[in-house]
Amino acid sequence: MSDHSQAGPPADPAAAAAEPQRHLSRRSMLRGAGASAAGLAALAVAGPAVPALASASRPAAPAATGSRVAGGRTESVSQPLVVHLRDVQSGEMDVFAGTSHTRLRDPDLAARLARAAR
Amino acid sequence: MSSHREAPEISKDPVADSTDVYAFVSPDQPDTVTLVANYLPLQGPAGGPNFYEFGDDVLYEINVDNGGGGRADIIYQFRFQTLLRDPDTFLYNVGPIESLTSPNWNRRQVYTVTRVQDGKQQVLGSGLACPPCNIGPLSTPSYASLAGAAVHALPGGISVFAGQRAEGFYVDLGAIFDLGDLRPFEQLHAQYGLNVFTGPAPGVNATAALNVHSIALQVPISQLTRSSVTGEADPAAVIGVWTTASRQRVRLWDADNGEDVNCGPFRQVSRLGNPLFNEVLVPLGKKDLWNSLPPYDDKQFASYVTNPELAGLLPALYPGVFPNLAALVKSGAARADLEAILLTGIPAGIVPGFQNNTGSVLADMLRLNTAIPPSANPNELGIIGGDLAGFPNGRRVFDDVVTIELRAIAGATYPLVDSKYTPDAAAGEVTDGLTASSVPSGYLDQFPYLGVPYSGFSTPS
Repeated sequence: MSDHSQAGPPADPAAAAAEPQRHLSRRSMLRGAGASAAGLAALAVAGPAVPALASASRPAAPAATGSRVAGGRTESVSQPLVVHLRDVQSGEMDVFAGTSHTRLRDPDLAARLARAAR
Repeated sequence: MSSHREAPEISKDPVADSTDVYAFVSPDQPDTVTLVANYLPLQGPAGGPNFYEFGDDVLYEINVDNGGGGRADIIYQFRFQTLLRDPDTFLYNVGPIESLTSPNWNRRQVYTVTRVQDGKQQVLGSGLACPPCNIGPLSTPSYASLAGAAVHALPGGISVFAGQRAEGFYVDLGAIFDLGDLRPFEQLHAQYGLNVFTGPAPGVNATAALNVHSIALQVPISQLTRSSVTGEADPAAVIGVWTTASRQRVRLWDADNGEDVNCGPFRQVSRLGNPLFNEVLVPLGKKDLWNSLPPYDDKQFASYVTNPELAGLLPALYPGVFPNLAALVKSGAARADLEAILLTGIPAGIVPGFQNNTGSVLADMLRLNTAIPPSANPNELGIIGGDLAGFPNGRRVFDDVVTIELRAIAGATYPLVDSKYTPDAAAGEVTDGLTASSVPSGYLDQFPYLGVPYSGFSTPS
């Protein structure tokens, strides 16, 4: 297996990457996890639709994970966003998008999410 | 097992389950180190039509500590992407796969390799092809050369391979986890009064004819050490190696689209440094925690190393066979020998001509002294067999780590720290009865060193 002269990526990696793949359709879905004190809400939104998150401090993303996530989705097209509503009363929630995590405290939004989940 | 399904949570997540990690000075390229990380344990070769593959949603990393603190100074990251050519057939391949670009190959994987150092990321290669799984003579004829084409050259003289390999780790899993039975000595087992065994029996390799998925790198030594190395006594010659797998914090089953949605930061779900560390030393209630932590946090697990449960079990399971070990355990003396082997590295002055000490930080890592040249006559018992190029100086693919660690825990290495201690005769004999020759595939004498995977056609499930 030492014949590196044969080594290399597929003849046309770009073409290979463009082969048919399933893409996540754009969704406008709001899901609650019931009317309990904690829940999950998942949305697929374009990046600019969440300006509050765009300005949040984000940890460094592992290499090669920022532009593509499993399933071939690209952030510039559609980025999953999941909210874990930890406590309705205080409005504490975790927002996960791309490779970031932001903890928010927004009682009004929490109340709206809880209502939507009923 | 070395680390196959070793913790409750990771046993339910095979694609992220790190099973073995190897680090050794390449015998045929002695200016390089070979690093191999295995995942996806216990693959039945005939596992079609959805043959085994890496997880697109898993971040795989091989970590190198060259500063001695149990922290990753250099990280090699691997991300995979699965490509489906024709979603309207149930077939993995629609004809013979004779090349990595074969149109007959329907479901394939490519990957990206990224090197991270000092916070800087360098993509070393992308769109790199994995080989298919070894299916059989019709689907994957000339498998060895097909997989050979999946050894890719990266910048800086690095070679990389990611794909299926024959399992190189050997262990009598069935006997060991049947209450510590070691078949070659099973007539000496207490047997709980059941009197099942009347004489010795040969070991049985539970992983024979099973495959794994390997990520292998061959890297010039100069790219791994923190500075140029003057010789084996130079602390800079020693690197610590471990592998990890991480998942994003959120995974949501999107039933409408029939797929998972992943988002959030990556968090570690699997780790492996020294073989059998989490498997045999860490108790069940802490195995999942251990998998989530970096090596520099291992001080909290040190008592499981210095007072290992297995050292107390051996005299109980084999009455009268380990009297000196029983006395050592009863004394409560901390096993400084095991701490050195597994958590700090062996300091200079213990084994003539050798050290792989990384300082005082207690951290489970494979520690490789890169200045020790490959052995011309390797002994699979490594250092306790007089071969300084073998485990626990890193780990080679054929090293008999089960026997080495059994003997160490049984007291064979305690005289390194207490010259007054006399090991039991059995400590130098105990084994599960297997050797590297128990691996039917054998090993390759060149990168990636693990053998050609067993084919589904020729290997009974």
